[in-house]
Amino acid sequence: MKKALKVLLEILIVVLCLLYLFPIYIVIVNSFKNRAELYDNILGLPAKIDFQYYKTAMTKMSFLTAFKNSFIVTAVSIGIIVVLASMTAWMLVRTDDKLSKVLFTVFIATMLIPFQTLMMPLMQVMGWIRDTLNIPMLDSLGGLIYMNVGFGASMAVFLYHGFVKSIPISLEEAAIIDGCNTFELFWKIVFPMLKPTTVTVMILDVIWIWNDYMLPSLVISSKHLRTIPLSTAAFFGQFTIQWNLSMAGLTLTIIPVIIFYLSAQKHIVKGVAAGAIK
Amino acid sequence: MNRRKGNTAWYMLFTLPLIFVFTTVVIIPFFMGIVYSFFSWDGLKLNPKIFVGFDNYIRLFSDTRFLSSIGHTVLFTIVTVLFINILGLIFALITTTKLKTRNVVRTMLLMPYLIGGIILGFIWQFIFTDVFSFMGETLGLTNVFFNWLLDPEFALISIMIVTTWQMAGYTMIIYIAGIQAIPEDVIEAAAIDGAGFWKTLFKIKFPLMMPSFTISLFMTLSTCFKIFDVNLSLTGGGPNNATEMFAMNIYNEIFAKNNFGYGQAKAILFFILVAVITLIQVSITKKKEVTMQ
Amino acid sequence: MNLKKTFIILLALVMTTSLILTGCGGKSDDGAQGENVEGEVKDDEGKEKEIDDESKASADKIVVFQSKVEITDQLEALAEEYEDETGVQVEVWTTTGDDYFQQLKTKLGNNQGPTVLSVNPGAETLQLKSYLADLSDLSFVDKIAQGMANEVDGKVVGIPYTVEGFGLVYNKDMIDSSEVTDYDSFTEMLKAQKDDGINGFSLSQESYFLIGHILNTPFALQEDPSDFVEKVVAGEVKMADTPEFKEFAQFMESIREYTKNPLEINYDKEVGDLATGKTASIHQGNWCYDMFKDYELDFDLGMMPLPLCGNDKLPVSVPNSWAVNGTALEEEIQAGKDFLDWLYTSETGQKYLMEEFKFIPVVEGVESSNLDSLSAEVAKYTNEGNTIPWVMHEWPAGIVDVYLVPVAEEFFTTDMTGEEFLEALDDAFEQAGE
Repeated sequence: MKKALKVLLEILIVVLCLLYLFPIYIVIVNSFKNRAELYDNILGLPAKIDFQYYKTAMTKMSFLTAFKNSFIVTAVSIGIIVVLASMTAWMLVRTDDKLSKVLFTVFIATMLIPFQTLMMPLMQVMGWIRDTLNIPMLDSLGGLIYMNVGFGASMAVFLYHGFVKSIPISLEEAAIIDGCNTFELFWKIVFPMLKPTTVTVMILDVIWIWNDYMLPSLVISSKHLRTIPLSTAAFFGQFTIQWNLSMAGLTLTIIPVIIFYLSAQKHIVKGVAAGAIK
Repeated sequence: MNRRKGNTAWYMLFTLPLIFVFTTVVIIPFFMGIVYSFFSWDGLKLNPKIFVGFDNYIRLFSDTRFLSSIGHTVLFTIVTVLFINILGLIFALITTTKLKTRNVVRTMLLMPYLIGGIILGFIWQFIFTDVFSFMGETLGLTNVFFNWLLDPEFALISIMIVTTWQMAGYTMIIYIAGIQAIPEDVIEAAAIDGAGFWKTLFKIKFPLMMPSFTISLFMTLSTCFKIFDVNLSLTGGGPNNATEMFAMNIYNEIFAKNNFGYGQAKAILFFILVAVITLIQVSITKKKEVTMQ
Repeated sequence: MNLKKTFIILLALVMTTSLILTGCGGKSDDGAQGENVEGEVKDDEGKEKEIDDESKASADKIVVFQSKVEITDQLEALAEEYEDETGVQVEVWTTTGDDYFQQLKTKLGNNQGPTVLSVNPGAETLQLKSYLADLSDLSFVDKIAQGMANEVDGKVVGIPYTVEGFGLVYNKDMIDSSEVTDYDSFTEMLKAQKDDGINGFSLSQESYFLIGHILNTPFALQEDPSDFVEKVVAGEVKMADTPEFKEFAQFMESIREYTKNPLEINYDKEVGDLATGKTASIHQGNWCYDMFKDYELDFDLGMMPLPLCGNDKLPVSVPNSWAVNGTALEEEIQAGKDFLDWLYTSETGQKYLMEEFKFIPVVEGVESSNLDSLSAEVAKYTNEGNTIPWVMHEWPAGIVDVYLVPVAEEFFTTDMTGEEFLEALDDAFEQAGE
């Protein structure tokens, strides 16, 4: 009896979730319709399931190239963000002085700056670096990664900062007595305990960087460097949108992120910190 | 304990790389923006840049449209942040129980966050316009279900709903991380002491989740203050500017009207305003955090 | 041991980063970004940049960046043919139609600009004039139809894409254009259609389709439209006191009274309603022809002027023009000009303009044999000289989206009178011009 109730509850929750995802249903069914069909009935199922728009979208987007670029940018940006932000946040928490407080405040305060106001000066700074130091910051994946790290820094530091506090300092003291230096201490003891936060940072950053349009649209111009969101731009005219292609493109864009999330969340291992306390 | 004694080198090694990148990407452009806010300029290098002192700032206070966009943004943010966090917390609590389907459910709840921009606006526009009108007619509830986007107040509520729908999964992720960082034995101990569900939740879990609250509140706060995409694609600021938010107002100033300097002045003023509010929020919730010793 | 490991990881990370930085950057540096290293552009400290040999040779590649995303695929095909014929590589950049100008400005602003670009005549051209090369010496400039070249200070800076016209796109089975000639007959038509359960006329919610295009007509009917715009912006003349606008307000009142609320209709729906016989006419231009291609039409489409004050002329103009980035290297400016010359004078180029881009000819010697029915109407009005100008390009920058749309939204959601509507429009022009 109780078991049946439980199964029922699970089914109920899944059904509720499906309802919650109703707008996504609209995306998927309309990726199979042409303009006339879409006008006729947005909600209805498509007359036939034909992946032609997916094929067209993939060709027009140069999907493989775009996927490769997006993958490089996302993976490298996040790798650097995780390493640098966790080190910084830990130092800021454990060094309890004025400087750390100021730095932390500056990090989080900048999260409130609307990107629209930074974009022009940012491009000027990057243009200046390119012209004077001859480092290609614009129209290069490296430059995009660099800027992603800058923009992702605040959030990651903020997340790590919050969770570093829940790690008992006694553990670190014990490690120091055992003769660890700061570097070893961080990578051997602290960083593994931050794993749930690391996974969280990774998930949030993957979603952000993978889907980001604004920044790449300013940085990247060349065709062979386009990321996935940039490659769908041609589906959006000023007033006309090729709905089937853009929705197919959207579906293709989000599938890799979903796969990533499904595999990543297994790693939010329960009670990492708890195990360490005992 | 003073870990820093003789450890300045370590401090620099750990923090400088990030600070360097961060400075070049965010801080310097931000200060350049402050400088530009004292100029009348359209943003193009070859076009004239005229120093106008504080004129742009003085002008702000008589710009009623800008001031009312701040009003909309503040109202929108307060309501939306509240709902996003309540919903996200509920999602997180549900999906950290022993549900068999929890991984699937989590993924599904996160999915709205993956859809952005114009397409999201189009879909919800369709829901608020056509689906709602249809429901009103069939159910006979035309005073509840009508085209919400044509009514100044309901249009604002529409943006709140869409943003909540989109962001709840995002906060869920942060709350899940927070819940899972709570040591198992603390919960067990509470259970042994006979604490019920609600008592465990409010007396044990929530206090230990304080970092998650700080983070999640701040993140949603900053996202909502800066809301742009949904605003643009769902209502475009309409009807009659009733839903024009701050970021859209700035964007129009800089890119549609070419008043780069004036747009920067708007941004700086708003930044100061928002920074004060949110830093107060952070310092309040931070005080409630428990540091484990 | 572990310390070593971490160091290696860090080092590897830095290495990868720098590899990507240099690797990818290098690729683009000698290609599309050749114009970055310009001779005349100085950096912030005023140091003259050196031009290395590599970038001097880069005029064998040009970059085209333009706003009409509908022709992106065709343009890319054209680029390949151009490379086959001339050996010069053409790279096409794309972006959404909405943020083209914003991106163009940002890119031009830090010497990252394209070689060939597109720019609207009017306010947009004036803003960019320091960046546009003089195209007066192109071989076909004197063959451009009268008044169609985009000129600033007596220099030709823009080559017209095509001409476009807008008005009432209507279902010929439902409306007889000879019977809709003024305000009274227009309103009669709306009433009659409404009695038949049909929407007689439709606007749609997108900025220009809602208010921008339709408001162009009373402006274009003024004796000196440009002068009139200036006076309205300066507050010297009120639309509320001008007869054409008073009648325009009456039109808008009739539209509000007898047709569906345009704020509930988007472009797709507007076109779909016409295609399926639910609407008799829409206010659109010849560009909307493509939107009908998925529908099977069982009637003919026609286009006629909005009969404001008995107007029988179609607003026709150049929506967009090709320009060359004047801040690029000499060789690149030349390469850009060569490209435009080829586009308008070679057989292949003309074939693309007419058959692939479906442009209406604006240059003598370029002819099109198969215009779609709406473009044919535009061409007919143009050849007969029955056109009025697009004044909207001379309105203050950003006015349609930022100021006019809110006024129109208020008009269509409240019972604001026509007079109040005109007063609000007057205010909008004054504010936008500040």
